[in-house]
Amino acid sequence: MREFLIAAVPSFLASAVEFVEATTIVLAVGVTRGWRAPLVGTLAAVVTLIAIIAAVGVALVTIVPEHLLQAIVGALLLLFGVRWLRKAILRFAGIVALHDEEVAYQRELAELRASGLRKTEFDWTGMVVSYKAVLLEGTEVAFIVITLGSTSALAMTQAVAGAIAAGVLVVGAAVLVRHPLTTVPENWLKFFVGAMLTSFGVFWFAEGVGAHWPGDALSIPLILALFLAASWLSVRIIRSLLPRGAEVAARHV
Amino acid sequence: MSKTIASIWSSLVGLLVEDGRFALGAIGALAITWLASGTLGDASGWLLLAVVLALVVSNVLSVGLRLRADRP
Repeated sequence: MREFLIAAVPSFLASAVEFVEATTIVLAVGVTRGWRAPLVGTLAAVVTLIAIIAAVGVALVTIVPEHLLQAIVGALLLLFGVRWLRKAILRFAGIVALHDEEVAYQRELAELRASGLRKTEFDWTGMVVSYKAVLLEGTEVAFIVITLGSTSALAMTQAVAGAIAAGVLVVGAAVLVRHPLTTVPENWLKFFVGAMLTSFGVFWFAEGVGAHWPGDALSIPLILALFLAASWLSVRIIRSLLPRGAEVAARHV
Repeated sequence: MSKTIASIWSSLVGLLVEDGRFALGAIGALAITWLASGTLGDASGWLLLAVVLALVVSNVLSVGLRLRADRP
């Protein structure tokens, strides 16, 4: 049960966000240029990702001592999580535009249509675009699975299962509706997942340097609640500082 | 080849770093916790939590204040 809560659930939620973004691009390629090339690209990226998870995950679990591993995992999760959390706060505060899957889909469609296709050739452009999208978003999934699962073999199994479940659910839903999953509350998910990964980072790094939390993993919900409360308070304060319409490009902050 | 390696490296760094100062602050929080863990013991976890909370709030508020100051 402990591994389910600290590995499978966070892996499922975080991976679902990444799968939604990758699926949008693969759908755009398939709709505009046919399905053979994007499916080949997706398959190639999945094989690459399995190799990364197997090589890095196994090496981490078998070579690095437990306490050092907890500290490394904690540090990586914290750095990864606070980056998501910061961006989510700025999105909800109106400083960075909210992520819109429909806009991303339409932009990708326009770019792919503009690049053209000769029917007699294998569609290398479609394959490469799909491969890069799945590999890029999948690298984040691999990172999440490896860090959440590296504390034990059972945790690794649970983290992998969580990611696979998210993939099956998201891809299955996209195949059914044949459109980007715009109804998934992606911005809310990113906000929650950012706070969740940061909380896991704080928990594991402290354990790695020898500290013990009261109630062990039961303290994670408390840490998470504090991050969510502080983040939401920050959103409210920034909104009061800046009137609506203060959106700027993400690169400016 | 070097371009590909640079691109992979940039993607990996991009997973962890978006705002350089913010990332340095997070690394500083981890370093402080590690250094203080010998003397603080179990309390070092709470220290890390407090420092990271302060870091997140101060960083996003400073962005908001900077944008407000820049507005005509």
